[in-house]
Amino acid sequence: MTVLAWCVAAWLLGMGVYGMVTSRNYVHLIGCLSVCQSGTYVLLLGIGFRWGAGPPIFYNHPPGTPAVDPVVQALVLTDIVVGAAMTALLLAIALQVHKRRGTLDTQHLRPLRPTE
Amino acid sequence: MTALASQLVPMAVLLPLGVAFLLLALAHWLPPRGADAIAVIISLLLIVFCGWLASKALHGPLVQWFGAWAPGVDRQSNVVLGIAFSVDAVSATMGAFCALVFAGSFVFAWGYFDKVHAHFHVLMLLFLAAMIGFCFTRDLFDLFVWFELMSVAAFALTAYPLGKSSLEGAFNFTVTNALGSYLMLTGIALLYARTGTLDFVTMGRIIAHQAPDPVIAGGFCLIATALLTKAAIVPFHMWLSDAHAVAPSPVSVIFSGLMVGLGLFGLLKLIAIVFIGDAQVMALVHIGLLWLGVATAIVGGLMAWAQRHLKRLLAFSTISHLGIMLLAVAAVDSKGVEGFLLYFVGHGLVKGTLFMVAGILLARFNSIDELELYGKGKRVWPAGVVMILAGLLLGGLPWGVMHDATDFVHKAGHGIASVIAMVAGTSLTGAAVLRAALRIFLRSSGVPGVEFAAPTEREREQRDRPLWLMLLPCVVLLAIALLPPSLVESFTHHAAEGLVSATSPSAGGGTLIAAITFALTIAIPAVSLLRKRATRRLARVVSDIEKAPFRALQTLHSGRVTDYVVWMMVGLATLAALMQLR
Repeated sequence: MTVLAWCVAAWLLGMGVYGMVTSRNYVHLIGCLSVCQSGTYVLLLGIGFRWGAGPPIFYNHPPGTPAVDPVVQALVLTDIVVGAAMTALLLAIALQVHKRRGTLDTQHLRPLRPTE
Repeated sequence: MTALASQLVPMAVLLPLGVAFLLLALAHWLPPRGADAIAVIISLLLIVFCGWLASKALHGPLVQWFGAWAPGVDRQSNVVLGIAFSVDAVSATMGAFCALVFAGSFVFAWGYFDKVHAHFHVLMLLFLAAMIGFCFTRDLFDLFVWFELMSVAAFALTAYPLGKSSLEGAFNFTVTNALGSYLMLTGIALLYARTGTLDFVTMGRIIAHQAPDPVIAGGFCLIATALLTKAAIVPFHMWLSDAHAVAPSPVSVIFSGLMVGLGLFGLLKLIAIVFIGDAQVMALVHIGLLWLGVATAIVGGLMAWAQRHLKRLLAFSTISHLGIMLLAVAAVDSKGVEGFLLYFVGHGLVKGTLFMVAGILLARFNSIDELELYGKGKRVWPAGVVMILAGLLLGGLPWGVMHDATDFVHKAGHGIASVIAMVAGTSLTGAAVLRAALRIFLRSSGVPGVEFAAPTEREREQRDRPLWLMLLPCVVLLAIALLPPSLVESFTHHAAEGLVSATSPSAGGGTLIAAITFALTIAIPAVSLLRKRATRRLARVVSDIEKAPFRALQTLHSGRVTDYVVWMMVGLATLAALMQLR
């Protein structure tokens, strides 16, 4: 199980980066960035997982009951918030770029063009 | 008193955060310059407060466990559940310096952002709070959160003018840094998987007692990738020249003077506290980071020389100086830390000044292009005096904070490669700034060389600000940069030893190298500005050969975000490979 989680995380990260490198569209690129981020969720949850353990909520369990690691779950939550902020900002920028340049093609968009 | 100081540590972050929220809520009711005034006052308060913390922290770090969750509070002393701020003297000094540059930038931006209520000030205060939190924390995940907060504020500030270039620059900046932060989180996850803690000190203790572990080495590579991306070290540096060139000039002051250097400070702190006991990682730091620093200093210097867009020129010069700072970090001894601290401060002051001068030119003449501005600077000659002086300081004028810092980095040095990198980086960047200043303010002609084909663009910024108000922060920052650093020598010495106690034998020959550097800084622009158009066949061949390496470098800096991601992965692979090679 743990090995599977690590492999899935590595796969998501690798595929996300591959998608970003070969992307021809800003929105597609933002999607690939989110795929990379999903890799971190899987990795974090995989690290905290224990077989046969319950959720880390103890109001009706005695202390000492096996539970999965709550720290990584907190990290994933924070990560989701960060990712949402980042994606929203990037999509807003992409929208504004499209308004001004009329394209979202990654190969045609560059901040300062060389003078020829 | 120390207990009180520890109790008050979180105020350094709460104050700017709280005021930012209040400003956002009250923006519509404030008088026109209210937000400006409040922001300046808050930054001045933070300078005093962080300075006070620094003086208290000189005899040991001030530690504050939030919610009193100190280790041992649950009677299981080996488990660290809480999150702490730990303020050593170096971190507090960094915090105070951040507040100083912010104060300068707020004064410079007085009235600049009138039309957007207080949003600029809110973002900037958020940015400042994130920087101070980043310096103070001793929890790895907390570090990540401050890092992200810093990034998000920076992304928004870059895209702020909503121009074509600023949007694309902000996009490149956001994508590369976001990818970096996801890699950092992966690295944090790997370290947590092995050590079971996120606290710096505890993690350092566990790593020191472990056999070399590839998972920890991999975690370090991933975290280093993120911090080096923020610090714009070759080959992770591509985004910086885009973002700094297109951001509004008061924001570029913060980016170049503070944000990127903080990436290296984070790395230094992690190496000094967490990884110092891991032989494999330390080998990578001493050799791999050293070579990255050498490459960065040289590439940044060459690219800076080949620019005509003034803010882009300064951006590449920042890259070069970050390479020199990385040399100080890679030494991991107390002289290196002292050199890093002084260099960070000296460079921040000088570079902040230069970006403000660029902002003045942009506001007055609606152009930021060295060749377009030719001879126009006469009407604002005080800015020219400031720019030439700052250029000389950048290029190794043997006086002031930066010179002393360079001396420390050299003393912590590691042989001929780092000496060449420091000479090349310092003299090329100083020469580039001097060349631009002489053209703009003194009408020195000289046929344009490699810079002629560099990217440039028309820009404009708000015009109606009085010149003296824009010059005031420049002059103050430059005056501080000119103070003799012997005033604070005993303080910086103690502060550096508080972070890293190891020392190494110092390298000699500093005076000679400083003299060579400064001579080159004067000679390069002099030769370049005295040149005539190449008419004879031989002269044409020589000038073509001379331009070839610059053209190749310009082509590599393509401006496409997909290429930047490829370079980041190349960098990550290089770090991993160097780790195996040792």
